[in-house]
Amino acid sequence: MTTQDLIEKIGLKPLSRFDHRPVEGVYISDMVSDVMAGAKSGNLWLTVQTHKSIVPAANLVDVAAIVITGGKEVPEETVELATKYGIAILSSPIPTFELVGKLYALGLGG
Amino acid sequence: MSECQHQWEMVNIRFGFVVFEKCYHCGGVRTYFSREGIPILGDKYREGDHFWNRVENAQSFRFDLICRKCNDAENFDDLMGLMYCTGCLPDCRVEVLRKKLEAERVHILLACGFLSESDAKPKQIPARKLTKLTAYFNQRRVMARSLMSIIPFDLEDGFSRCKGEFLHDVGMLSQEPLQIRTSPF
Repeated sequence: MTTQDLIEKIGLKPLSRFDHRPVEGVYISDMVSDVMAGAKSGNLWLTVQTHKSIVPAANLVDVAAIVITGGKEVPEETVELATKYGIAILSSPIPTFELVGKLYALGLGG
Repeated sequence: MSECQHQWEMVNIRFGFVVFEKCYHCGGVRTYFSREGIPILGDKYREGDHFWNRVENAQSFRFDLICRKCNDAENFDDLMGLMYCTGCLPDCRVEVLRKKLEAERVHILLACGFLSESDAKPKQIPARKLTKLTAYFNQRRVMARSLMSIIPFDLEDGFSRCKGEFLHDVGMLSQEPLQIRTSPF
């Protein structure tokens, strides 16, 4: 499973510019510190947080992509920083719980 | 020197808050880690000649690293946080280094110790700890095509000009839009 597959299969909208890469597992958290402590390399990070600090945190632990759920608007400065780092920010209008169900059905686990 | 090819693991994770306090009397700023529920912003108290006011809380965590091969352990209670460079000062040596290393696909973060009212700069984290922390995060980044390097924050003028930002959950207790932040420094 890659970020490209997820965009095509569940309609995630890419906001930043990035190279597609494999996705292994899902991590859900709205705390940067929690992600720094627990996310794994290649994870898809689901969150409603949009502050630009999510970008260097994602870079630090090497998540495959940040997915902003529930249709929350992402500030331009966050998208710009993500593009600078090559971090994928994807957006979904679907609430986190529902999106997790779709990801699980595609074979992605925790 | 150890010959172990260390395999670091983050252990003993304790979530809490980094609290920023400012003294109205001397203008000094100090920070510390607290595990109390939610430190109350605006809480004021007197301590000797100081009149402390809590001006910022940031959700954060403490941790240790341990090598699963040789059991070498390191405690990071002195780490206030990691900061990323926002490129605010083109002539800053951190910015110069950041640009140089990013061309080599190495990203930098700055490690800051806590502040005391008598210091303009955060306390330094020993180099041996930063070496271990860098190794730990690079070991975690198994699918990455770049490296991380965690370097000391040792800018001469401390935080007074630097607009770098901490990887803390400042203002993230609420989903309300962030107000414009006022630096405690």
